[in-house]
Amino acid sequence: MTKGQDARSVSIVGVGCTPFTSFEEHPETQGIGEGEAFGYAAKEAMEDAGLQPRDIDYFFHGAANPFMIGAALTPNMQVQEWIGMRGKGSIHHSEACCTGYTSLELAVMAVASGRYDTVLTGAVDLASTLPVDDAPAHMRKDFPLEVMLPSIGYVYDRAYGRPLDSAFGISFDNWVNKYAQTYELTDDQIDQTLNALSIQLRKNAVADPLGFSTKTYEDLAHESGMETAEEYLTSAYNPKVTQYLRVSGFEIKCDGAAAAIVMPTEKAKALGLPAIEVLGTGAAAYEGALYNNEYQGTRDGAKAVYELTGVSPDEIDLFMCNDFFLGGDITASEECGFIPRGEAWKYILDGRVAPSGDKPINPNGGRCNFGHAHGASGLADIYEAVKQMRGQAGATQCAKVPETTFLRGFGGGQNVRCQILRTVK
Amino acid sequence: MELSKMEPIVKRFYEGVAKGEYWGRKCPECGAIEFPPHLMCNSCGNRDTEWVQLTGHGKLLSLVLPGIQNNKPYLKDEGKYGYGAVQMDEGPIYTFVVYGLTKKNRPELNRRIKAGETIGVHPKNVQRDGWVELCFELDDDVKESLKK
Repeated sequence: MTKGQDARSVSIVGVGCTPFTSFEEHPETQGIGEGEAFGYAAKEAMEDAGLQPRDIDYFFHGAANPFMIGAALTPNMQVQEWIGMRGKGSIHHSEACCTGYTSLELAVMAVASGRYDTVLTGAVDLASTLPVDDAPAHMRKDFPLEVMLPSIGYVYDRAYGRPLDSAFGISFDNWVNKYAQTYELTDDQIDQTLNALSIQLRKNAVADPLGFSTKTYEDLAHESGMETAEEYLTSAYNPKVTQYLRVSGFEIKCDGAAAAIVMPTEKAKALGLPAIEVLGTGAAAYEGALYNNEYQGTRDGAKAVYELTGVSPDEIDLFMCNDFFLGGDITASEECGFIPRGEAWKYILDGRVAPSGDKPINPNGGRCNFGHAHGASGLADIYEAVKQMRGQAGATQCAKVPETTFLRGFGGGQNVRCQILRTVK
Repeated sequence: MELSKMEPIVKRFYEGVAKGEYWGRKCPECGAIEFPPHLMCNSCGNRDTEWVQLTGHGKLLSLVLPGIQNNKPYLKDEGKYGYGAVQMDEGPIYTFVVYGLTKKNRPELNRRIKAGETIGVHPKNVQRDGWVELCFELDDDVKESLKK
């Protein structure tokens, strides 16, 4: 067996995902706490696989920041009662915005090793509000930006990356800056590309019933008395807030939970379940203040997953990119071999990354449009990939039903997980 | 591990910065330097490193400028700045706050970096509450040449 390969093949047999929204702002969901949110995603995944809680051997719980936005130090224990798994083993893990991708990696390892047969892996973050101290879980309070922003730095190294200020300073722009310098693109060309990407991703999210966004940039332009989405995106409504990124290039933080169930592929086949095989995970981590950290992590993760799976980049039909700040969609899609080097910006301007295009990226809209429930976002992407691969993605179904999907998980100052999924025939 | 063998490394780094001394950790096996210093070698995976003093001088490898999302008021108070990758003269690369980077000189600095020209930088300390932050600034000859 090659280093990194699993001892037995593991497949996803069930997925669930709540809407990514602000639960407090909808009468139907006002008062939903972490236990219920995790529980509804897990329930949908069980229904999807035709399984009951009694059929699950073990579960993983992910959350990006359980202490601050969940008021919990032991979140796996605190959701266990909600999913009918009293007494069974579980682990909580937290890798900030990469949590949902490590959720899949951990579950696959638990089954591939032979330790367990059927494992649930879920993640939840109610990121649009904060818990109320000394009150039950249904009571939430505002989570203003001035409280959130200082906490972002907590993903960076407290010895150097955070106090020396560079980790937070370079993270948003350093790879797209490298890209611009390499291909001699002007600031305007990068801006046009990012805006075209925002327009497409927003359309995707609006068409997705689980997505946060309900208005396209065309809608917002018309409401503001403008003719085009481009005009809106370059207006004072959407200023640049870093060297390259506008407000539209940053995540929409929201509430959400997602889950998946994995089991040995052979068992899935024996049960007659539609299976999506997890061919492998390439893992890397580069601290946030390291030079070109996102590039280095993606390079290493992609190389690892291609080497251990034997998949060729030209076999990838769908690319999912964790893009809580835009730019990775351009740079990572090239580094992972989905789009030829130096071409992604042109593919985006030509509309080729739309669900109807030949190189679809993030048909759910990604973090800046579908929404970012931090720890849960990776599993929401896995949910989307599975639905796409089954041909069940509705209005944003890719023109060609994907057989092979590449996920570039990223986040948490900075972890990278590159994963390849393939439909079992 | 005995207490006497557990030296605080981060503390020595920041105390050195405050005195104008720049301490890294050198790998006795491959010679690579960890700067800022860590316990073990990330270049070759050796578990031992030893203290080494650096000159503090380096060169700028890349730069980005802050916007309102990643601006820090206490840094702005000290002058115009950006964020850059700095390679120390002794080899290690890390990212720092770099003073003297502006919207006006960004195109020229990018041109020089792409052309392989050396853009020298040296430490500029920023006093924080009870500790000193190591930042860098463009060397005087670089500043002068950018005025032309």
